[in-house]
Amino acid sequence: MRRWYVIGAPYIWLLLFFLVPFFIVFKISLSDIATAIPPYTPTLDLSGGWEAIKTFFSELDFENYSFIVNDPLYVDAYWSSVRIAAIATLITLLVAYPIAYGMARAPKDWQPTLMMLVILPFWTSFLIRVYAWMGILKKEGLLNLFLMNMGLISEPLTILNTNTAVYIGIVYSYLPFMILPLYSSLEKIKPSLLEAAEDLGSPPWKAFWQVTFPLSLPGIFAGCLLVFIPAVGEFVIPDLLGGSDTLMIGKTLWSEFFNNRDWPVSSAVAVVLLIVLILPIVLFQRMQQNQAEAGR
Amino acid sequence: MAGNASVAEAAAKPAAYTPASRTPAPQSNFAPWKDPAKNPIVRFENVTKRFGDFVAIKDCTLDIYEREFFALLGPSGCGKSTLLRMLAGFEKPTEGRIFVNGKDITDLAPYERTDVNMMFQSYALFPHMTVERNIGFGLRQDGMEKSAIEARVAEAMALLELGKFAQRKPHQLSGGQQQRVALARAIAKKPRIMLLDEPLGALDKRLRQQAQFELMRIQETTGTTFVIVTHDQEEAMTVASRIAVMNHGELAHIATPGEIYEFPGSRYVANFIGDVNIFEGKVSAIDGNDVTIDWPSGNDSFTAQGSAGLTIGQQVWLAMRPEKVRIFQTKPTEACNAIPGKVVDVGYLGSISHYHVKVASGQQVTALRANAAQTVEHNIKWDDDVWLEWPYDAGMILTK
Amino acid sequence: MNSRFSWFNVTSIVLGFAFLYIPILLLVIYSFNDSKLVTVWGGWSTKWYSGLLQNDALLDAAWVTLRVALVSATVATILGTLAAIVLVRMGRFRGRTLFSGLVFAPLVMPEVITGLSLLLLFVALGFDRGYWTVTIAHATFAMCFAAVVVQSRLHDFDKSVEEAAMDLGAPPVRTFFEVTLPIIAPAVISAWLLAFTLSLDDLVIASFTTGPGATTLPIKIYSQVRLGVTPEINAISTVMIGFVTIGVLVASYMTKRQSAMRERETRAVDQGAA
Repeated sequence: MRRWYVIGAPYIWLLLFFLVPFFIVFKISLSDIATAIPPYTPTLDLSGGWEAIKTFFSELDFENYSFIVNDPLYVDAYWSSVRIAAIATLITLLVAYPIAYGMARAPKDWQPTLMMLVILPFWTSFLIRVYAWMGILKKEGLLNLFLMNMGLISEPLTILNTNTAVYIGIVYSYLPFMILPLYSSLEKIKPSLLEAAEDLGSPPWKAFWQVTFPLSLPGIFAGCLLVFIPAVGEFVIPDLLGGSDTLMIGKTLWSEFFNNRDWPVSSAVAVVLLIVLILPIVLFQRMQQNQAEAGR
Repeated sequence: MAGNASVAEAAAKPAAYTPASRTPAPQSNFAPWKDPAKNPIVRFENVTKRFGDFVAIKDCTLDIYEREFFALLGPSGCGKSTLLRMLAGFEKPTEGRIFVNGKDITDLAPYERTDVNMMFQSYALFPHMTVERNIGFGLRQDGMEKSAIEARVAEAMALLELGKFAQRKPHQLSGGQQQRVALARAIAKKPRIMLLDEPLGALDKRLRQQAQFELMRIQETTGTTFVIVTHDQEEAMTVASRIAVMNHGELAHIATPGEIYEFPGSRYVANFIGDVNIFEGKVSAIDGNDVTIDWPSGNDSFTAQGSAGLTIGQQVWLAMRPEKVRIFQTKPTEACNAIPGKVVDVGYLGSISHYHVKVASGQQVTALRANAAQTVEHNIKWDDDVWLEWPYDAGMILTK
Repeated sequence: MNSRFSWFNVTSIVLGFAFLYIPILLLVIYSFNDSKLVTVWGGWSTKWYSGLLQNDALLDAAWVTLRVALVSATVATILGTLAAIVLVRMGRFRGRTLFSGLVFAPLVMPEVITGLSLLLLFVALGFDRGYWTVTIAHATFAMCFAAVVVQSRLHDFDKSVEEAAMDLGAPPVRTFFEVTLPIIAPAVISAWLLAFTLSLDDLVIASFTTGPGATTLPIKIYSQVRLGVTPEINAISTVMIGFVTIGVLVASYMTKRQSAMRERETRAVDQGAA
């Protein structure tokens, strides 16, 4: 019976503060905006009895969804979020792979230190790290200053407030999430496997594609999910580094909520975003669960 | 071969531990399982254990008696560890009951089974406690007085010669020392039954032999009933008063080491304990205790003893230990069982040699010979034509 | 997989770490810039730091953030440790799949969704938004990170050690406190530290769930960052980076010292025994 207390405490907490809220989001996404507190209608009043519940349900509708689907602004925002996140994930993978590969091949006693150096930026504030790039990327910023002094460019480049800055921001902020799973799968590959491949006639570059790369696929998969999913809904990076034409759904949701105070529409935006991400999230959850099972 | 050879070997070494002056079980008078007046200390009664669809233990009934050193022997996955873990309380039987000292303990949790303590395969030492605190852990759970705990811990450490390691943490000990701490920790609780799950599996061969004798010494001095799980038949033969050979969740055979080696009861047991040559045949004649067995694949017939329960025409297997098969370069005269063959392999091990001989049926028969003196036969080589011979009372007739 | 540590490997590590650290380094350096113009170097100065100490609104925000982080990290660690035990030790039970989904999904859930949904829950429940709602929100998403950290430690943990404790007469709860917890303690501590920093850093979820009088430091910084790069923000950022760096360095130093001490103990005992 004690077992059920142990299971119950975290379970009930997560049900109440993680699962139930989604149902509320869904419910409110079916409501209409109102100038009231809370700013939506209808609200459920149980004291009205069965009749009140019936009218409550009859007033719910999918109006907000048809609004989102028919307004190209939202459709574009979803599409562009997924595209930006996908491209950024790919770049992150390409940047992270050589680093993780180098770490896995570094002398054994360096590896814990290298690991710590990868994790350390993750412990410092996300906001601050994004902010740091603002000073670097702006027109009179440090990057332009550097490039002009080197004589590589004569005119300052416009990077801040463009999609390029958003890519840089995502790659920079999420790099540790890509490096760590890659490193842990690369580190497990025994050197004798590569030696065996070479002994059997495979030159090093071929051995990489035939042995190392396939064995690192779980790490690639994990890293890509860890970067892609949060990047789709990212708000801080497009808000601070992106321009007015950078469309990302996290930003749209934020302004719908804080600037327009339209709770029902922002709820509908959130529900659609969740639907877009449900497949990668389920994949991620499966992967985590499999890892948990494998250890038992 | 296993038991006696290693006893002699280890005793000859100037080992740190004095081997207990203990006669092998077959000759000793210690045989409570033959005494109907004795009550077993452990009784498994029709115990079945299933994990989902998988049957780990199939209707097992087993009695273990006080002061026994009982070995559960079998390949991995045969259910021997499950049986032990059910006795410790980590697994619950799906069906059947388990009794300790006449009391039904089937539904007791592990920490409520005060008569039973276990030594784990991985030792399971608490990494954050010193040796001393590890050993005293179980006593503290019983709420014993501090001075009494100290005395008990000191006693257990003395028994296992751990005194100078008292303040060490487990990771500062060698494998052999860790093994002794694990043993001391369980023995400090003075259980009536001590369970050992592959206790020596992590030690190298030399250390393992020493540790076997140490286990026997401790079992003798404390008078505790030991139940050991092992996949190592030599180990079981060395330490045990009785061995239960397990196969796919069933008890294949329970007997003393000597009985189990000489009269294994089934091909599975014969194969599992030591090496064996097996000839498949049919009973063609029975004369008193003498049995004639037709060996169709070799176009020959053999004479053996033990006709009880056999009928003419019954399929049987004649099993023969390699050390009982003699090898000659010419046909031996007046032999009741002699077959020709060709040597395909000779394994020279110094003290003994193995000869693998291909006989008429195409099967390989192994003969073992001690290299006691230089004889003509000593020069038997690969590809030589030889004769194999064994006396009529050397083989065992198996019906399953 | 080591050996064959080539120039290519060294170069990619060096470039990678340069990419990770140069922006932070520049930010720190420019926080000591005397000039108001962020990109023009006007000599060394600490005037922006002394300015921070006079900024009451900022100090209030820092205090709120710290309180939220302390409480939410503690709650998150307790719940996360329980969740890890459930995942690793409890075997199968009804609703296990849902449970593991609830633990892992928040790790990747976009913050805007988590923030919005929690806000709507608090509104539906009629909670006054403020310190407690932010704390609950942070505890919820941080507990999942804590659970992952503790879970990975529990995996490496030999289950028979717990069985041994029970075999020696310790009931389950006692086994947990006397055996399991001391062994997984380092993981529990790092889980707490992680939950603490996650709470310190969070902007999005706090923005949704906060109310009057509970402005956290990231919210404060964000409102200023939107207006552009200023040396004051560089200074605050440097202070926060400094705290975290010192914390991580102290933690790793402690771990190193602990293992060094263990080694010395071993040697001492060996000499004593000889």
